[in-house]
Amino acid sequence: MMHCLNADAGNAKMSVLERRLNWQRDQFPATYYVSENDLPGAGAFFALNNDDRGIGDVMVGGAMKPDPGTENGWVGDLSRMILNYGNRSEVEVSRAFPGTVISPPATAPAGVGKEADFGSSTANSKKRKVDKAQNPKGSSEEIFEEKKVKVYADEESKMTGQNSNSNSKSTTTTTTGSNETNKKNTTKGPSNGNPKASDAPKTDYIHVRARRGQATDSHSLAERVRREKISERMKYLQDLVPGCNKITGKAGMLDEIINYVQSLQRQVEFLSMKLAAINPRLDFDIDNYLAKEIFPSCTSSFPSHLVNAAHLHYNASTQGISGPIPEIGRTISPPVVSMADSFLDSSCFNQIQHLTWEDDLQNLFSMEYQQGRPAAFTSQPFTGFLEAGNVKLEM
Amino acid sequence: MRNSAQLRHEFLKAWIKSLKIYSNLKKNMSISHRKNAIKLSADVAIASITQKAKPSASSHRWTQSLMADAASSDDGTNRIFVEQTLGYKLGNRKKSPTTGLMTKCSKKILRNNIRVFLGKSRKRTTPKHAKAGSIIANKGVEKRTRLLKRLVPGGEDMDEISLMEEALDYIALLQVQRDVLKQVAAVAESLRNLKSVN
Repeated sequence: MMHCLNADAGNAKMSVLERRLNWQRDQFPATYYVSENDLPGAGAFFALNNDDRGIGDVMVGGAMKPDPGTENGWVGDLSRMILNYGNRSEVEVSRAFPGTVISPPATAPAGVGKEADFGSSTANSKKRKVDKAQNPKGSSEEIFEEKKVKVYADEESKMTGQNSNSNSKSTTTTTTGSNETNKKNTTKGPSNGNPKASDAPKTDYIHVRARRGQATDSHSLAERVRREKISERMKYLQDLVPGCNKITGKAGMLDEIINYVQSLQRQVEFLSMKLAAINPRLDFDIDNYLAKEIFPSCTSSFPSHLVNAAHLHYNASTQGISGPIPEIGRTISPPVVSMADSFLDSSCFNQIQHLTWEDDLQNLFSMEYQQGRPAAFTSQPFTGFLEAGNVKLEM
Repeated sequence: MRNSAQLRHEFLKAWIKSLKIYSNLKKNMSISHRKNAIKLSADVAIASITQKAKPSASSHRWTQSLMADAASSDDGTNRIFVEQTLGYKLGNRKKSPTTGLMTKCSKKILRNNIRVFLGKSRKRTTPKHAKAGSIIANKGVEKRTRLLKRLVPGGEDMDEISLMEEALDYIALLQVQRDVLKQVAAVAESLRNLKSVN
């Protein structure tokens, strides 16, 4: 038994990754076990988030929310990651998941003893643990990760090598073990061999481990997994929707989400109405400038002026407006006003006067910035740009 | 990984481009028409961005429903516009509103049958009184999920989990739209004020 424990410790590590692997590759034979721990995939998710390569770093650093600094990045990442559900089947599986019925596949007789040991060794780890950063501990995050996290290549190979014989149970343990209240761990190993050269999965199943002291029949397991998934996503939504931190419970959260979506939609509608009112013709020509990219060549060809100006303006407004708006407005106005005066004197302003509104913004920008020093229009800090800019950013 | 600033940048580009296409298609629009054009082009822009980001994202529900909505408007120009912007032909996508209902029903039937079949092998997992409270609580949740489904485009047929994901994406993209529109509106307004000063 002792050697089993060691193997189990290793197994625990690998089993999570392997499970993710399996999920990723849709390789599983049908075992079905529920995660024992409550730790949502949040940690892993955010770890994935932080990793630019999108590789599933198994940094399950506990159920931590990403720091607010990454919020902006996270939003984009989120949609990108959500869009990146590379494996369509994963999504479909998850959808099918609530209805999935587990059937006992034929699996290698990897040794029920092993599982039992594994179960016992982790039996007390009911509470979620803050795992060491690189250790994919226990079953904590697998449910969510299985969907989103890609596994390191080397870890994959390592796992497959070691897990070639961990093809254990199946549903036989789950179904027959309905009397057991102990946690059961049923791990399904990948097929022997390189998981990277993944065989097409025959069935899509999710590994779930039953928690200690809870029912282990397939339906409640499925429900539990489903509930956990929903709560996962609720957490992400909490981060996305401002002011949701205090609210617990699905109904309240959903309320906030609905309110936020409605308010966003209304804002977009109002803004588009405003734009339509301002502009008799839909002719925002910023596109010309932004299309050609950025960096100011000091040769100051006409387009590059526009490019820089428009781009910088846009960047500035991007950075500035997304921040605390009133303060920025206040700090902005003095330099703008002063610059406006200087521009007033410049000859270009007379030209601006002649511009009708229908004229392209392009012309406007060109007038304004031709006078400016080209050198100034590099990727400058916000304030530096504003000195050259003549636009009041009002919010 | 694209951060939000990049997203906004790309959205702005796509949006301006689509606005241009639209204004080429139609002249002399009324104000409400313009507003709708702005919104439509914004939506199309956002859809095209997500498609570019991840080709399989076109299978994303809301993009599809967006296209369907845009394409099915009575004014043929909308459809032309959308197609031009996206660069491909939209298939005639008929959204059958009952599919979601049917799949849910069928799933339920299947599940109930299985339960009946398995019969007594299922233990009662929670006591009865505990269920009552959760049932009441779930009613509120159900109502709200229905609301959310109506809000999120393409959300009618989805189950809860994917609805959440769609909502996440939708919120993120709405934020992008709103921010960009805000900035452009601010610029436009300030420019107009500048002009009117003189």
